[in-house]
Amino acid sequence: MTDDTLTNEAHRLHPLSIPYRVVEQGLGLILAVFFAGVPAFSALKGAVGAAAALGLVVLVVAAIVGYVVAYYRRFEYELTRDTFDIRSGVFARREREIPLRRIQNVDISQNVVQRALGLAEIKMETAGASQAEAHLRYVGYDRANHIQSEVSRLSRSGDAEETDAERFETVFAISERELGVLALVSADLRVISFLLVGLSIFAPSMASAFAPEMFLSPETIVQAVLGPVFAVVSILVLGLVVGVINASRYYDFTLRRAPEELRYQRGLVQKFSGTIPLDKVQTLTLRENLLARALGYASLYIETAGQGTSSNQQQTAQSAIPIAERERVVSLAKSIEPFGDVEFERPPKRARRRYAGRYLIVIGALTAVLFAAQQFVTASLYWYSPLALVVVVPAAAHLKWKHRGFHAGDEYVVTRNGFWRRSTKIVPYHRVQTVASTETVFQRRWGLGTVVVDTAGSRSLTSDDAKAVDVDVATVEQLRERVGEELYEAIRRRAARSRAEPVTSPPPTGAATD
Amino acid sequence: MDQSRKPSTRVRLQWILRTAIASAVLGAVLGGAAYLLADEVAVLPAEVQAAMLVGGATFAVVFVAGTARALLLYRSWEYVVREDSLYLSRGVFTRVRTIVPYVRVQHIDTQRNPVERVLGLSTLVVYTAGSRGADVTIPGLTPERASELQTRLKVLAIESEEEDAV
Repeated sequence: MTDDTLTNEAHRLHPLSIPYRVVEQGLGLILAVFFAGVPAFSALKGAVGAAAALGLVVLVVAAIVGYVVAYYRRFEYELTRDTFDIRSGVFARREREIPLRRIQNVDISQNVVQRALGLAEIKMETAGASQAEAHLRYVGYDRANHIQSEVSRLSRSGDAEETDAERFETVFAISERELGVLALVSADLRVISFLLVGLSIFAPSMASAFAPEMFLSPETIVQAVLGPVFAVVSILVLGLVVGVINASRYYDFTLRRAPEELRYQRGLVQKFSGTIPLDKVQTLTLRENLLARALGYASLYIETAGQGTSSNQQQTAQSAIPIAERERVVSLAKSIEPFGDVEFERPPKRARRRYAGRYLIVIGALTAVLFAAQQFVTASLYWYSPLALVVVVPAAAHLKWKHRGFHAGDEYVVTRNGFWRRSTKIVPYHRVQTVASTETVFQRRWGLGTVVVDTAGSRSLTSDDAKAVDVDVATVEQLRERVGEELYEAIRRRAARSRAEPVTSPPPTGAATD
Repeated sequence: MDQSRKPSTRVRLQWILRTAIASAVLGAVLGGAAYLLADEVAVLPAEVQAAMLVGGATFAVVFVAGTARALLLYRSWEYVVREDSLYLSRGVFTRVRTIVPYVRVQHIDTQRNPVERVLGLSTLVVYTAGSRGADVTIPGLTPERASELQTRLKVLAIESEEEDAV
């Protein structure tokens, strides 16, 4: 499979994708019909029924195999000079042409079985609508890598003759130490909530099953201590397990860089590889949770346009660096988007009083609920215990305020929020889509507001727009208008720059630079 | 251009109608529930009266609140076709002011739901590539005004166009 045979020639999916897909799509259905249908049928109609059910199973298998084979035969993809074409569909034919310069990312993934078979799944994403997506299930692994480099080569302008080895240099390869830190830092203690919910459901019934003597009743000091200690230890262990699972997704993480794109690969059980075209970067996000900050580590995420389509189950911002020492992360971020030194402007100090008020209200509500519940329950609920938290409210409010801020620079706007998980977002002005300011009733009382900078990166539960929260109203107006103006200035500057530059650089009509 | 504008005053009627329907439904549901429950609780003599009472009260409360909100929302509404961008300001509890630069506009839709069609109004939706793309709507525009605005925005967007709005 040389360079020549890939472009301008129609290709089929890998033949092994047929048995794989038959199993993938059919297994559940076949098992259901077999294990549920056969007994049911035989119960109704005796031996004749069982035979009929088995016949049904055979029919279902045949139908699935027939469909998958037909899908395979009717699926063609072709890489041309300007587009990636896909012709597919068994019953409803679909022909899709995706202009190469619209492709934002080319991602390759393999699970264990696919790796054993030498198969890989390719996903190509474009900005915005999910219609222009390409999803190849499944091609050979070598072919997948080939497609990935060819798409990047053809959508690039400039010198297209260098090999991948020449163009790419490894920028980051995760070390064991960093994997360890990642496991520790991604330990999720929120598993506590699942544990407690589970216990509350199952404990009563389990309690009745066991004889009272088997209970850990605090009759001895040892037992009194063991109970809570055991609980805490199990929570920590569970949290760490979650952390280790998270970290294993980044096993063998490598980030390589060519002048116009980043390429990463990762994975222990499931392997992933993806591209991040540097001229399509919308936002950079630096994430550091409390533990990471204490250890001096941080993570970097890059958002390009068009991720987060419904089929994409992974995190929608791509992890450029899962975890590394903070300075290293910042210097890589600056090499992608040179945002210079950042001095954060914090919200006005009265915002702290607002947060303190909020926390006090929550504590009050919790106390009230417990107090009300206490009236109906004989056992002591210690309804006044939430009041103990009042002591930490001033510190909590201050910390929340301290880690909040924004910086409107010459070419970038940077926002920072969060104490438990601090998120610093760097948005180049020329990537801004819309700017909005919001003021809730409560914010208006305090003379505060929030500015939201929207980009074409996706919005999900975990990643969000860059926001300058709880800023003074006058600053809100100023910032909102400024970002709008800077957007145009940035676009004009870039247009002027690319007009003035010599021919070798990407022209404005080429790779969709802004 | 650069003049602060408001949607048509008829949009208040549209919002009031919407709240009337919502409160009628809510009232009917709660009234029905009261009817059924009053039947269970033999203490109450006239189930129907109870149902009407609960239903009517709910309707009244929700309707009054909804109408007040509709009127306040109308008062808060403002849009300006600026030189480089579209500016919108609206909101009762949460005041939202949005700037949509023309260079970011992908496409512009006008929509009319059944109530709008009866009242002779329509809604303008401006799409950008941002994740909040569909948030930029201007309701309560007469069809002429809406198509005029749509054309004007389209011209402004094309004028400021670049190769790629991303």
